[in-house]
Formats: sequence, structure tokens, C-alpha cells
Amino acid sequence: MQFTHRKLDNGLTIVAEVRPTAASMAAGFFVRSGSRDEPPELAGVSHFLEHMTFKGTARRTALDVNREFDELGANYNAFTSEENTVYYGAVLPEFQDRLMDLLCDILRPSLRQEDFDVEKGVILDEIARYEDMPRYRLYELLMGEYFLPHSLGHSVLGTAESVGAMRRDQMQAYFSRRYSPGNVTLVGVGNVDFDALVGKAAEQCSGWQPCDVTRDTSPPPPAARRKVHTDPNVAREQIGLASPAPSSQGDERYAATLAATVLGDVTGSRLFYALVDPALADEASVVYDALDGSGVFLTFISAGPEQASEALRIARRELAGFLDDGPTDAELLAAKNKIASGATLKGEVPMGRLTAVGYDWVYRGEYVPLADQIEALFAVTRQEVLEMARRYDLSSATVVALGPLEQL
Amino acid sequence: MSERFFVREMAHGMTLLGQQMDQVSSAAMTLVVPAGCAHDPPDMAGAGSIACEWCLRGAGERTTRQLNDALDALGCQHHESVRSEQVVFSAAQLGRNLAAVLEIVADILRRPRLEEETFGPSRALVEQDLASLEDEPARKCSLLLRERFYPSPLGRCAYGTPEGLAAATPQRLREHVAEHFTPAGSILAVAGNLDWPALGDLADRLFGDWPIRRPAAPVPQPPAAGVTHLPKDSAQVHIGLAHAAAPIGHEHYYAARVAEMVLSGGAAARLHTEVREKRGLVYHVASHYHSLKRHAGMFTYAGTRPDLARQTFEMTVAEIRRLGEGVTDEEIVRARTQLKAALVMQGESTSARANALASDFYHLGRLRGLDELSGAVDSVTAEDVLDCLRAFPAQDFTVLVIGPESVDMGVLEA
Repeated sequence: MQFTHRKLDNGLTIVAEVRPTAASMAAGFFVRSGSRDEPPELAGVSHFLEHMTFKGTARRTALDVNREFDELGANYNAFTSEENTVYYGAVLPEFQDRLMDLLCDILRPSLRQEDFDVEKGVILDEIARYEDMPRYRLYELLMGEYFLPHSLGHSVLGTAESVGAMRRDQMQAYFSRRYSPGNVTLVGVGNVDFDALVGKAAEQCSGWQPCDVTRDTSPPPPAARRKVHTDPNVAREQIGLASPAPSSQGDERYAATLAATVLGDVTGSRLFYALVDPALADEASVVYDALDGSGVFLTFISAGPEQASEALRIARRELAGFLDDGPTDAELLAAKNKIASGATLKGEVPMGRLTAVGYDWVYRGEYVPLADQIEALFAVTRQEVLEMARRYDLSSATVVALGPLEQL
Repeated sequence: MSERFFVREMAHGMTLLGQQMDQVSSAAMTLVVPAGCAHDPPDMAGAGSIACEWCLRGAGERTTRQLNDALDALGCQHHESVRSEQVVFSAAQLGRNLAAVLEIVADILRRPRLEEETFGPSRALVEQDLASLEDEPARKCSLLLRERFYPSPLGRCAYGTPEGLAAATPQRLREHVAEHFTPAGSILAVAGNLDWPALGDLADRLFGDWPIRRPAAPVPQPPAAGVTHLPKDSAQVHIGLAHAAAPIGHEHYYAARVAEMVLSGGAAARLHTEVREKRGLVYHVASHYHSLKRHAGMFTYAGTRPDLARQTFEMTVAEIRRLGEGVTDEEIVRARTQLKAALVMQGESTSARANALASDFYHLGRLRGLDELSGAVDSVTAEDVLDCLRAFPAQDFTVLVIGPESVDMGVLEA
């Protein structure tokens, strides 16, 4: 296994974790752009743009793009988050050049008006699809309540209104502002021919014009708000809590990952034993979301209406109680084993390493082999986790609920 | 390159399967027992799900917490699920921890505590999973479609019914577990960093004296089929339709998988191109193949806004039917590439391989290597696909719709 990197004159960075014995290769363009970078009137433009990238270029129609991906037998997709838009694919090594030709090309989409109009309907349907998922609605409501007016509270999908009103020229301007090569990283993992990867990128992306791209990464002030959204069409009460956490750049991110696992992993966690094991909730979890310049701990609970208030009370008790002594030795070791095992298993397949390698570079400008990350994880002490938990007071959280209840 | 496979059938009916894989440190196991929800007593639908949950709450010498802690300490990524014919226990861990995990799994299967005080919460969780389906209309649509398509009770939703769950008692569940968690028809498959002789010795020790029970197989009744509309004030209309396909092991099986690719294998496939790409009618439309031992189907889902529901439905049915008119050579070539690439990439994952081994043996009584699978895929011609679609035509659809209004089904009569 070997890590290499190169930077083109226009600022496009290419990094790769190369394992010549892997059966496949995975590659992705990581664009440092997401809903947090959108002006409010363009809510959803990053995500809509992600869709439009697959709708054709100067030398390919949308049907050409789809056909070529399928001809490669590619396992491919793209996603948009609050902070990143990522386009990726995994193929057998003999298809690397053709995959790269395709990926490099679509990163300069034509944004044709006719395609824009048709795809708008698809986005509107996607918005409707998520309206039928109370769990996702809760996530958006929670992020909004906790972060707004900070831009991390922006909805990734946007609304039917903001997407409905969006114009092609607005998307084009947004693209020109954000998709500067200096704001993009090309990542390769697995059985990669790095020289060919760089060669292809140089050939097709050198013409990408750079411009200054900014992002205000100052964190939001902590908030401890409370909001109950009543919807009789929702059967189970969805409850979310949000509180500050270390940023992606912080040294405490390993401690934060461990704390989230001890508190709210699917198996064997504090919330599992306090809520799921006695069937007070059918789902209870804590995740650590490491963001650019800030971070957030997110707690999710799903419970029947008659048990929801009790479930929330118990969850808050567990989060507050963690600040007394932190994790036990046994809990900490179990968390380390689970995380290490999960990362190892995932990393046996190139696609499983792509996001990790990409985010390490995008957020911290570094590459850390998985073995070193596991070593750093195991080096975290109980005291460090406890101090981190106290510094980022999990007991002071914004609470949002969505469901049949009028109050909690 | 051919894989290193191992097969051993134990005297009492349990089968051991192994695939040695280089360059991986993990070993994944898939253990199936013939206790799926099709075996739930008719008045106790959901018994299998309760059993699966309850068996994890203490086994052998260990309490629930000790069981969880032991698996966590071994870095075991485990998952339990109830399917139609089988309950599946899967676990992935570093190869050196496999033996210790298997000891624990043997306890769960053979010596679950099944104590009175843990019965209530186990059942309550299944009841809550069932209730949560109301908040997941797309998933509910797929699950209930399967229930109505397959001969009853083979396609039954594993969560059961409120009445069935309410009828469960600790005693009846204990009898159910004792009757159905049995070696006859069980399969233990391991793929990855594997020591086959050691695994054989371990399996003998852990399972060799597992008592045999031979519960009666469920007697399939004609499927409910037909068209069903479940009213819901949802933002989307969720449309599911199913029709018969060639089961695994049938002579038309590989042609059916190629047909699946042409219809819905990617963004260039028929459904995505016609329904989403060209017309923007949906965000999600897809058709996938599913097989039980003797029955299989093509299951299609489309989610759309109410004002576009009729058009989406008609377009989707039209595309499924149009497949029967033939597929192009270009589509065949593309389908082959997609299938073979997926096979190779699946071959990198120890847990995907463990699942594939168990599935192969269950359906075919033997294991299929990459060469055989690639060769079979490569030999499918456009004529074969046509023959397959003639034998399994796009008709007699089972339909399930969840949404504010029912959808005009006139196109089905055409």
C-alpha cells in the first residue's frame, strides 16, 4: 500500500492510496461545496447541480453518460451533503481510463435548459419522497433548529418553492463560483495506475479555470432550543437532540467518535441498554458529525407516543450522566474494538476507503493509513474522553420532536 | 483463477461451507437455520421475529449484557434477520476471532435463555417495528407486495400481525424455537481468512450433537395476488407490482438476470431511461429479481407525485411489457459487463461471499465459482432472453399501491 499525490498548476489536487493487488479501483471527485455554501434563495442548488452533472456535457448527452457508466459495469453514484458534493465510481482496473474520461468530462456539465426543466421534476419528486420519511424530516428540522441562522442549518434538498423557482443561469453562476479546481480533490483507491490517473486529469482538467473560493468556517454559537412539531400523520414520535462537538480539524475527534459509540451505538451502548433493551424505544442512537470548523453530536430516538416523554427524559439523563465519570474501561475498549473492526472490514474493498481517504485530505490535508488511525484510536484514554465530553457539554442540547404529540 | 471452496455435509443434516480468500484479514460467517417466518404458526404470525430477538437476550452462561459485551470485545459486526424460509445470523470479524464468535453463536442457537422477563420487551420491539412501517410507506409497499405475490405464507412480512404477536406466549415461543432451530437444513458458511480443518473440528464440537427435529414444511396456498390500494395521506404515491420469474436453478435463470439488467440494471436501463431520464416522472423507479426455493418474481417499485401517478404507472407497465419484444445485442453486452463486474467486486468482500455460499447451497445444493458464473452470463443470447420472457411473460401482475387515491389500472386490461 502506498500513498501518492500531485497538484496541477490550476490547483486541482490528485491523491491516491494504491494497492496493486486489489481486484478493483475506486475514484471520486470531492468538491468542497454543499448546502452551507448556498445563499438562502438558492436553497438546494448544490444538490440540483449534482443531478445536472449527469445530464450531459459538450460531447455527451445524458443518455451517453448513463450508457457509458453502465458499459463499464461501474458501481457509481454521487451525493451532496452540507459541505461536500462527491462524484464517485468503482470499476475493474482495466476500465480506469474510460471511467476517468467520463468523470472528468461530467465535472464540466453543459446545464442545458431542456435537461434543467426535466430534472427539476425529478428533484421535486425526490423532495416528496423525503416528505414521506419522518426520520429524515426530523433530521432537517433538528439541523435547522440547532444551526440557523448559521448556514449549516440549510436544507440539502431545498424546498419545492426554492427548487421550483430556481433558474439555469443561477445554477451556472453558482457552479462557476464553487467548482474551481482549487476547491476540488480527485481521489483514487485500490488497484490504481497513478501515472495514468494524473495524466488523464492533466489532459482533461488543466483547462478548468481557477477562482477564489471562500467558506466562512466560524462555528455557530451553541444553542439549547426546544421545538415540538405536531403531525398526526406520523405514527411514531421522532425525537432529536443536537449539541456542540469537536470539529473535523480538532485533535479531539477520536475521543468524540468513541464517546458517540459508548453512548449511542446500535449494540451495547448506554442508550441501547436504557431505551431499546427494555423496549421503551425501537431506535436510539448517537452520532458524531465532524464538520468544517465545527461539529455536532446528534441523538435520535424513535418511540411510541405513550413512551416518548419518558424516553426523552431517560436519554437526557444518560447524556448528562456521562459527564460524571465518562466511559468505563470495558466500554472504552469495546468501542475501540468495534470501530477498528468496522473500519478494517470496510477497508478491505477499495470503495470502502474512498470517502475516508478523501475526507482526510479535504478536511486536514493529510493522509493517515488505516493502521495508524486504529493505533491513534486505541491510544485515547478514558480521561481524554471525559474531558472532551465536559468541554462539549452533551447535557445542554437543542431538542426537536416530530410526531403525533402536542408536547413532550 | 478459481476459488478454494470446501463443502462438508454433517450426518445430522447441517452443512459446512468454506471459501479461502487471500489478502484479507477478516473471516465472515453466515449461519442459516430453517426457522423463517413462513414457519410461523398460522395464529402466531411474527413468532420468528420474536424468537430472533429473544434468543439474543442471554444464552448459555451469559446474560444479555455479557453476550453483547463478548461480541463487542471481539469486534464482531453482527446482524440477525428473519427471511421467508430461514433465520439468518451473519457475523464479520478478524479471522483470528472467528472461533470465539462461533462459540457464542452456538450458544445463541442452542442454549438461548428465553427467560420470562425478557419475553415482553422482545415482543414489544417487534410490535414497534411493525408499527414503524406506517412511517415508511415505500418499504411497507415492497413488503406487502411480496406478501401478496408469493403463495401464502411464503412471502409473509417477518414482523407478522398485531393479532399474531399478541397471541405469542413464552411457552409457545420456546416450543417454536426448539422445533425449528435444528441442524436439518442448517448451513454454516465461512469466507475469508479461514482454517478449514480447524473450522470442521470446531463445528463438530459445537454442533455435532445438536438434536434433530423435522418440523412440517408450510403448505403453500394460492397467493392473494390482485390489485390492492392502501389509503394514506402521503406526499408520494408508492406503486409496487410483481410478476413471475424463473427461480434459481431453472434453465432460464441466467436469462432472467440479464433481462433484469436490461430493464433496471443502471441509469441506461429501460425503466430509468424512459420513466425518469426522459420524462422526469419519478426520482426512484427500479425492478429487481427475487427468488425463494421454488418461486421467483420481478418486483418493480415506482414512487411518484399523485398528479403523475397514472402516467407513471402506465409508462412502467409499458416498459416491462416492451422487454418481451426483444433486447438488443448492445444491451446484452452491457448487461454481461455489469453482471460480471458486480461478481468480481462482490468477490472482494468476505461477508458478501459468505452470504453467496449459503444462498448457492440452499438453492442448488452446490457452490458456483466465478468462472462458472461468468461463463453462464456470457452464454446468454438475445434469443435466450426472448425465450425466458415468453415462458415468464409480463402479465398477471400483483399490484400494491399506497397513497391518497387509487391509481387507474386500466392499462393492465390492455
